[in-house]
Amino acid sequence: MTAKSLACLLLCGFSACSTTEEQVVNHLEQLAANPIDSPRWQQAVDELSAIGRPAARQLIARLNPDLYQGKDYREFREEKEKLRTGCARTLGHIKPRGATGALNGCIGTDYTNNERIAALWSLGQVGYTQAGLDAVKGQLTDPDPIIRIHAAIALVKMDVDSGNEEIKAAFAPDDLDIGESSDRIQIALQGLEEAGYYGVPLLIDLSEITSPHQAELRTISGRVKDQLVEQLNAEEPDHRQRAATALGQLDDQSTTPALVNLLADPSNQVRFSAAAALARMGVDQGIDFLFEALRNTDSILRANAVKFLTTVQEQSGSVETQLGAALDAEDPLARAGAARVLGQARVLSAANALLEATTDEIADVRVNAAIALGYIGAEESRSQLEGLREDRDATVSYYAEWALSQLGPR
Amino acid sequence: MKKSIYLSLIALLALPPFAGKSHAGDTPETLLIRQSLANDISGYRRSNTELALKTYGQHFVTYQAHANGDPRAWTVLHENRDALADQMASDLETWRYEVTRTVPSITVRANHAIATSIDSGQVIDRQSDVATPVDLRRLWIFLKSENTWLATAMVTDLGDSLLPATSTASKGEITEFLQRESKSWEEGSASNILELFDEHFTGYYTQDTFQPSTWKIAFNGTEEMEKWLENRLPFVRYALERQVLHSAIGPSGNEALAVTRETVAVTHVNGPAKHQKERYVFWTMSRRSGSWKITNMLYDLGLAD
Repeated sequence: MTAKSLACLLLCGFSACSTTEEQVVNHLEQLAANPIDSPRWQQAVDELSAIGRPAARQLIARLNPDLYQGKDYREFREEKEKLRTGCARTLGHIKPRGATGALNGCIGTDYTNNERIAALWSLGQVGYTQAGLDAVKGQLTDPDPIIRIHAAIALVKMDVDSGNEEIKAAFAPDDLDIGESSDRIQIALQGLEEAGYYGVPLLIDLSEITSPHQAELRTISGRVKDQLVEQLNAEEPDHRQRAATALGQLDDQSTTPALVNLLADPSNQVRFSAAAALARMGVDQGIDFLFEALRNTDSILRANAVKFLTTVQEQSGSVETQLGAALDAEDPLARAGAARVLGQARVLSAANALLEATTDEIADVRVNAAIALGYIGAEESRSQLEGLREDRDATVSYYAEWALSQLGPR
Repeated sequence: MKKSIYLSLIALLALPPFAGKSHAGDTPETLLIRQSLANDISGYRRSNTELALKTYGQHFVTYQAHANGDPRAWTVLHENRDALADQMASDLETWRYEVTRTVPSITVRANHAIATSIDSGQVIDRQSDVATPVDLRRLWIFLKSENTWLATAMVTDLGDSLLPATSTASKGEITEFLQRESKSWEEGSASNILELFDEHFTGYYTQDTFQPSTWKIAFNGTEEMEKWLENRLPFVRYALERQVLHSAIGPSGNEALAVTRETVAVTHVNGPAKHQKERYVFWTMSRRSGSWKITNMLYDLGLAD
């Protein structure tokens, strides 16, 4: 009796379970049966997104117009629109790279605006692929300004700046607050928030233009900042690194403690990015970290220090004083590294200090000073460099020759 | 499937050098269909009925379009292959064919296909030597059976525009049959729907045009339609309001065609959306098996009111 009951229970249990494919079919029918963006339609998108990658194949198939034949036939264009829009939207949450081709196929003018916008949004969420980038770029010339702004935002999410002018134009004073223009701004604001670290450079550019939407831009920047602070704890080192760099660009002192914590990150690139972000914000811990690395005997750490200090100096000029001081440091590694950074960042005001460094007793410092003078191209360094052609160290004389070639003929 | 591919390849290798000219985008299947259409025209040119008849299936039907793209003007010409053969023999006795054929479009889906052809040149009266120019557009419907593509139907003298049509809407058995089909949808009974279709029927859809080159094949027979209905009927309820605009029955009363205008609507089980549209549908039917069965069905035909 007990065994029989157990068997019955098991059977009932199994029959109550549906396969993933059946679940997907049910959610697809819910998409078809409800107006786009209605709560039940959105619920279907959310539940399909929760299924994730196992649903992707069926969703990608629904984007293809040739699917709607045979057992998948649908008589009504509106039904296909609801399905295709929902599938594209869901794929944007799941982000399978394999969806790019099918999504590209849905952004053209054969499709409704709902379908095109969902596919563009989804392509942005999936991120950079060459095919996706090419297809989205093509939409920047679409006659519909709403499509153009969605395309531009998708490009930002792909870390490509080709659409930035379109977004800036949306915030321009002559393109404001009249129906469609207002929609464009809302789309851009939402897109920039979703773009996370990819949108930060553009958010900073936009904060510098005169626009009545500065308050909204500040709100978005604040939300992006919170998002980035959270991403500093992401599992993927790439996310932590990009989040740290973007926080440095946002220059918000409230994020200092979170960035300082990252100076002990297991990943080299994350540590240096956090230090560079802090240095850019003028925080001593970051600057000290980078200059300490500049003196490290590990050449990889020194190379990183040069790379990140150069970026910080180029973007903010916040380490110029420390670089000048490092040229006089006791440690020759610090002097050589500082000379290299000053050259690569083309700090014109450092020319005299670098000329002085060409007389350093350590050949490596003289080499880097000569190279830096070549980068800077200061005419007043010519005679000193000519003298260095006869340096006792062959490498120094070689680079003195190279630096002179950068100055051009007298 | 593999066997079928091998057989297709063997058939292709066996094609004579004068086979229908190939085109960019041709597949093994479209090449075989071109060959079948080439056999027919070669048969006419050589007065070889045996060769020409190789193109046609046993249950072949010819519809006469009367130079009109609007099927409300169409009638049934030949109800089977034998009727065609008789006509062919008579034509070949009267005329010498100096006609060439081009095949502008072929659409294949699994073992069903449609093709259009344009025959041009002249026919010459064997007795008087008087030449009559030929410019004939045709629509062909093919079914692949035992690895051979055979024409199951042809619309001859197809027009490339919509001309006036004298609709002859019968109140008789065709109307009754099509209304029964309509009711089956409202009842939501797959078996009631499917029993009205020929096993090998072809279902097409187009996007509100009448040119056959735009037609797409939605259903390859009842097996596929049954699978669709299994997916569809649990989730939607149909409402259909059908008006039969035109019907024509062949001389022997075994083949028929019709045009309907209808409002079709679905309501969904899973939500409030209601989808509705008006459409024209073209039908062909046969009762060779005893009762009327639908042999072809074209949804969303683009006809002006």
